[in-house]
Amino acid sequence: MTVLLTICCVGLLGYGMRAIFIVSLAKLSFPPLALRLLEYVAPAVMGALVMTMLTGPEGALAVGIPELAGLILAAVVVARTRNVLAGLLAAMGIFWLLRHFLS
Amino acid sequence: MTQSPIKKAVLDTLTLFVPAIPFALVFGIAVNESGLPALLGWSTSPIMFSGAAQITLVTLIGEGASLAAAATAALIVGARHLFYSITLAPRFQDQPRWFRWVGSYMLIDQVFALTVTLENRDPNYFRRYYLTSGISFWTLWMSFTGLGLFIGPIIPESWGLAFATPVLFLGLLALAIDRWEKVVVAVVAMVVTLVLADLPNRSGMLVAAFLAILIGLILERIRR
Repeated sequence: MTVLLTICCVGLLGYGMRAIFIVSLAKLSFPPLALRLLEYVAPAVMGALVMTMLTGPEGALAVGIPELAGLILAAVVVARTRNVLAGLLAAMGIFWLLRHFLS
Repeated sequence: MTQSPIKKAVLDTLTLFVPAIPFALVFGIAVNESGLPALLGWSTSPIMFSGAAQITLVTLIGEGASLAAAATAALIVGARHLFYSITLAPRFQDQPRWFRWVGSYMLIDQVFALTVTLENRDPNYFRRYYLTSGISFWTLWMSFTGLGLFIGPIIPESWGLAFATPVLFLGLLALAIDRWEKVVVAVVAMVVTLVLADLPNRSGMLVAAFLAILIGLILERIRR
């Protein structure tokens, strides 16, 4: 019961974080500099999120050669094709291959 | 001729969702290992609708952290949505009021990544595309996190399926980059997150995102 309550609280606050600016800034006009600055949000936040996922709980980089090769290949493939699925298949392919030969 | 927003949204959603399937399975494993009842664990899908925050919450509860600590960590992981909200706010200005409230619920990483780069500026096109993508992701995420509860635990760990999750988000990052200044900003965000990895509750990622956006501001100043 208390777990469900916690989930609901997190869900409600999470919704609030998504809605706050969309709802409250509906009438505000954004200066051009602010609009240009907002373009950097996606690369900044996604970059931070990817690195958070790669660093283990103790803060050490939990990534070996197969992972690194997979990540680099994924970035190159997605940048060229704009297709995340193609990037994933390439990354998992080289990851499994290298892991097989390096172990 | 412009493609119908609904057809384009469904296609874009499917190519982004397939890479998220392993993520749904990883979630299923996390629920299983946490010892929570399956239905209670799954309830985070409709209530929170945020994969990374759901996994954080469920994992920490399973590890015996206090509910308050688990909730705090999940909220910090979810705080990036504040950035998404402010970024899309200008595009929601010429939209009906109901859509601002409903659209906010669907503001997940993938929907953000797809709509922030949308070139068609027509408000109706934006709304149809956003809703189609949001509803499609929602339906798929509810189904596959449900399946993940059963399939996730029987997949051998040696497959290394968990690696698909950072790859997925790196893919979303690559989609968000269309000029070199954004590469610099992304690299700064990654390096700062790595340096601050020891901060409690993974809060380093928020500091890193802030700093990286500031670097973007400096780059804009230099360019002009």
